Amino acid sequence: MAKASSKKKAEEKKPEYIHVTFNRPRQYSWSTGRYLGHFYAEAKENKRIVGNRCPKCKDIWLPPTPVCPKCKVDMGWDWAELPQTGEVYQYTYLVMPLWDPHYGEKWANPYPSAIILLDNGVFYRHRLEETDKDKLRAGIRVQAVWKEDYEERGHGMADILYFKTIDEQEAKRCLQ
Amino acid sequence: MTERVGILAVGQTKYCPNRADVSEEELAYEAIKQVLEATGLTLSDIDSAVTCSQDFWDGRTISSMNIQHVVGAHLSHEDKVTEDGINAVYCAMGQILSGHQDIVLVVAHTKESQAEKSLIENAAFDPALMRQLGLDFTSAAAMQAKRYMYKYGITSEQCAKVAVKNRANAKNNPLAQEPMDITIEDVLSSKMLSSPIRLLDAKPTSDGACAMILAPEAKAKKITRKPVWILGASNCYETHYLGDRDLADCDALTKAAQKAYSMAGIKNPLRQIDVAEISEEYTYQELLWMEGLGFCNRGEAGKLIDRGVTKMGGKLPVNPSGGVLSGNPTGVAGMTRVAEAVLQLRGEGSDRQVEGAQVALAHGVTGICGQLQAVMILGNS
Repeated sequence: MAKASSKKKAEEKKPEYIHVTFNRPRQYSWSTGRYLGHFYAEAKENKRIVGNRCPKCKDIWLPPTPVCPKCKVDMGWDWAELPQTGEVYQYTYLVMPLWDPHYGEKWANPYPSAIILLDNGVFYRHRLEETDKDKLRAGIRVQAVWKEDYEERGHGMADILYFKTIDEQEAKRCLQ
Repeated sequence: MTERVGILAVGQTKYCPNRADVSEEELAYEAIKQVLEATGLTLSDIDSAVTCSQDFWDGRTISSMNIQHVVGAHLSHEDKVTEDGINAVYCAMGQILSGHQDIVLVVAHTKESQAEKSLIENAAFDPALMRQLGLDFTSAAAMQAKRYMYKYGITSEQCAKVAVKNRANAKNNPLAQEPMDITIEDVLSSKMLSSPIRLLDAKPTSDGACAMILAPEAKAKKITRKPVWILGASNCYETHYLGDRDLADCDALTKAAQKAYSMAGIKNPLRQIDVAEISEEYTYQELLWMEGLGFCNRGEAGKLIDRGVTKMGGKLPVNPSGGVLSGNPTGVAGMTRVAEAVLQLRGEGSDRQVEGAQVALAHGVTGICGQLQAVMILGNS
């Protein structure tokens, strides 16, 4: 009896943590501005991925920037269309459900988010179509898959649904 | 101060209600380009950048990542201040005086148009004990205005005179957002926001950016013919919870001013200061802050505006630029005051120039009812 009562006492002493919770979201609306705006327009109108080119080092930056981070000079207005194929440089496999902050919907999980090395040597970041983690490795060749309906485009990077695996033979070689 | 720090150049965007045409980065870059052109420096010459922006306003954690490229902070030094740009100028001064940095770029940006002002201001209040009252800065300022007017007999007409003066001054400032020809009657009949504060008693929503380059004395003299020196600078906080301080007085400002004055050797501010740029987000604040700055005794600022002391051509012109009331974004507004003071001391104030200005005061404020006060004294000789 004595034992049971001391156990009960211990339970009663368990501290209660009080939380203050807020559920009201704060709304934002970001202007893309001239540079990112051009990237958005090319995606919507022409299904192109574009970056801008530094007048000094000739490097291409994606997202486009007004100033070359390396040379620290004004980029001017020199644009380059980027290839839509490349290889997976690295990826992370997402299994935690996360909200899409733009639309408030939960992404279907699991899925990989990847850094993609486009065929001209510029990096891009996107989701991969392949969700089977046994079929994923760095080095797999991938290609952008666009939203075909013009009316559905206009959301920048989201105008590309994902990058799909191409060249299955090479993919298999990577996996070996 | 043992060594002097000079401001080499200032740049400001035009202040606008909604710069939907640019990103925050492009907005900041507009101001940065001006100071690079004025000094002949490039971003590679910058040793350190001190930026001012606020995560809640920018809608992202670490808001300075937004503008990393345009401040030259790739593989380079950058610090962020999140109160007002005037505090960023203070930090830049400290970096230079420490001997660690030479040429420092200071940049403040805010796009108030991109977020919900009231909700962001509400988030500045204590989450457990204050937010639920639904206050924003305007409704809190209304309490301060009422208390101040009650304690010292300041009238709505005297407050309205501040709006009439500053909006008219703004007509001489091509960067001002809302220059206006208005009368006291116009102010007193404008839409009530939160009694006694009416629409024309308050600053409008604003987007803009401000940039500066600072350097130690020897370098400053090499780079520009007209450096402006920081003679004194200080800031002071007071309590957050409303009611813990008498809102009719501003002890934090008095303390900040006293320290800045003692650094700059100012004993009689009304006599020794030629022009003042004061952060008045609401009309009553210009009067209240003048008292805190020691331009008159407590409760007597109404008489100064009645006598025309603070108008252009008066003994101490206050806000020749048009002030915050004519439209500056929060976070940038105090730095804009420093920029305007610099223009005055360089004789580059064009139509808003106070003739022969040699010593200027810039004042910045952050938070609820002037919780954080910052004072900077600048001179040209």
